[in-house]
Amino acid sequence: MFKFAPYLLKTLWRHRTRTLLTVSGSAVALFVFCFVLTVQQGLEQLTKQDDSVLVVFQANKFCPATSHLPQDYDRIIGEMQGVRDVVPIQVFTNNCRASLDVVVFYGTLADKIRQVRDFTLVGGSWSAFEGHQDAAIVGQTLASRRGIQVGDKFSVGDVTVAVAGIFTSENRAEEDYVYCHLDFLQRTRGLDLVGTVTQQEVWLDESADPEQVAAAIDAKLKSGQIETDTRTKGAFQASSLADLIHLIDLSHYLGWACLFLMAVLLGTTTIMTVEDRIGEHAVLQTLGFSTLRVFRLVMSETVLLSVIGGCVGIAMAALVLSQAGISVGAEAVTIAFEPSWNMVVTAAVTSVVIGLIAGIAPAAHAARADIVTALRFSG
Amino acid sequence: MSLIHVDRVSKQFRKGSETITPLSEAELQIDRGEFVSLMGASGTGKSTLLNLIAGIDKPTGGRIVVDGTDITQLSRTKLAAWRARNIGYIFQTHNLIPVLTAYENIELPLLLLPMNRSERQRRVEIAMTAVDLVDRANHYPRQLSGGQEQRVGIARAIVTDPTVVVADEPTGDLDTETSSQILDLLQRLNTELGTTLLMVTHDSDAAAIAGRQLRLDHGQLVEQGERVSVAVHPEAS
Repeated sequence: MFKFAPYLLKTLWRHRTRTLLTVSGSAVALFVFCFVLTVQQGLEQLTKQDDSVLVVFQANKFCPATSHLPQDYDRIIGEMQGVRDVVPIQVFTNNCRASLDVVVFYGTLADKIRQVRDFTLVGGSWSAFEGHQDAAIVGQTLASRRGIQVGDKFSVGDVTVAVAGIFTSENRAEEDYVYCHLDFLQRTRGLDLVGTVTQQEVWLDESADPEQVAAAIDAKLKSGQIETDTRTKGAFQASSLADLIHLIDLSHYLGWACLFLMAVLLGTTTIMTVEDRIGEHAVLQTLGFSTLRVFRLVMSETVLLSVIGGCVGIAMAALVLSQAGISVGAEAVTIAFEPSWNMVVTAAVTSVVIGLIAGIAPAAHAARADIVTALRFSG
Repeated sequence: MSLIHVDRVSKQFRKGSETITPLSEAELQIDRGEFVSLMGASGTGKSTLLNLIAGIDKPTGGRIVVDGTDITQLSRTKLAAWRARNIGYIFQTHNLIPVLTAYENIELPLLLLPMNRSERQRRVEIAMTAVDLVDRANHYPRQLSGGQEQRVGIARAIVTDPTVVVADEPTGDLDTETSSQILDLLQRLNTELGTTLLMVTHDSDAAAIAGRQLRLDHGQLVEQGERVSVAVHPEAS
C-alpha cells in the first residue's frame, strides 16, 4: 500500500483547502476530546488513590472550614493497630466552592512532610522552610499560575507566608497546594485554632485492612471529644468533590459528541471527494485496481485526514494542558488536568478508529461503482 | 487459435422501461499481433464490445476468451488482476491522473504487478521512449498538450506489455495533425512491437491504418478487410 503513498498525499494536497478545513475540524474535535479525557483521568487518579492512607475528618462536616478535630487525636490514633504514622493537618482555603483558582494551605508538622510526600524542590531549600515559622513551600503549578517565586511574600485572606521553596510532585494535584507550618496556620489572625486540626492523615502498615482500621478509629473516638468520620483518601476526596464529579461524569457526553461530529465531518468530506473522483476511480479500476484496493485507498485517505487532525488536536491539548496548569477544586481538594501518555495514546487510537468508521461508507461507494457508468464522469 | 474469441456475446441493459440490446450473439476472432479497427455511428455498441473484451463490463450472454482465459467466468477481483496483466486501455479523453506526473501516470499500472523499483523504472523509460516523451517525465497532465497527454495514455497502456491494447476513440479529442501523429504511433506499436490492437473509432481515415477494419452498421458487423469471421445477430428490443 505504501507504493501508492505519493498518489494519496498528492490527492489530499490537490484539494488542500478542503483538506485543511477537515484537518482543522478534526483537530478541534480531538482537542476537546483530549480535554474531556484528561479531566476524567484526573478525577480517576484522585479518587482511586492508594488505599493505605486514611483521612479522619469531623463527623457530619463537609467543609474544611467547619471540621475541627483535637490535634492530640494523632497520639490516640497512632497507638492503634495497623497504623504506621499520623499527620495532623490544618487546612485553609480561599474558596470552598468549585473554582478554577483554588488556593489551599496545608499546615502540618515540618518534619512530617518529607516523610509522607514525594516532593522535589525545584527552587529554595528545605532548611529555609524548616527554619522559619512563616515559611511555606508552594507547588509548581500554583506558583506558575500565580507568578510566585522563592523569596516572595504570598497572601490569601489573613494568611501571609514567605515562599521558601517551590516543589514538584508525581501527584500533579499536590502541585496546587501550599504547605506551611501547622502552628503558624493555627495561630493566624482570624483563625485562632491552636490545639485543633482540620483532619488527621493516617498512614497504614502494608498488612492493615483500611476499612477495618477506619471503622476502629471511628469506634474508638465515638465517645471522644469530637466524633470522627474516617475514609480512605480516595473516597474522602471523591466525597469532597461529589458535585464536581457529577458534572465531570456528564462531560463524557461532550467527548462522545465531539467524536461523532468528527466522524460526520470526515465522512462528509470523503464522500464529496469520492463523488468528485468517481471517474478517476473508474480509470484506476480499468487499469487493474481491484475493488478492495480502491476501498483501501479511500479508507487510507480518511484515516490519514483523521490522524493528521488528531495529532494536531492532541499536540494542542497537550501543550495547553501542560502550560496552563489548569485545575479545578472544591472543598480544598483539587483535580489537576495534566496531559499524560495514556491520554495521547487513547486519543491517537481514537482518531484512527474514527477515520476507519467515517471512511467505510464512502470507500464502499467508490469501490462498488460500476466502471463503465463511472467512466462517463471522467475526462 | 485466435488470441481473442468473442463467442455469441450479447449485452442488454435497461434504460427506463426500455430494454436496449447493443450486442446480440456477436462473434469475433482476433489473432495475436493484429491491428483491428471497429467503426460505427454513435450508439451502435462498438464501445460496449470494446469494454467487454477489456473486461470492464460483463456480457448478458455468451463468452469471451482472451489468450485461453474465459474472462466472463472471472470474479470481479480476478478480473481486475487479469486486466492489470493483460489489458492496456487507451481512453478518448486520456484520463490521466491529474495529481501524478507523466512518469508516475505511466508507472501506475506497474505498481499492481510484482516488480521492484528498478524494473519499474526500466519499463517506464522504455514506454516513454516508445512514445517519444522522455523529456516530459516530470510534467503534470495540465502542463502537457492534448497530443502529449494521449501519448502518456498510450505509454501507460503499453508499459505492462499487455496481451492486448484497446483504444476507445483515441483521436476523438485531438486535432487533425495530432491525430495523425497518434495513429502513426499506434501503427508503429503494432508493426514494430507486435502489439495486438483493437481500436474503436468513428473516423474512417483513422480506421484505415488498421490491418483489418470492421464496421457496425445498423446492427450489422461488417468485415471490410480480408477475413470474414464476424457475425452479429441484432435482436429487436
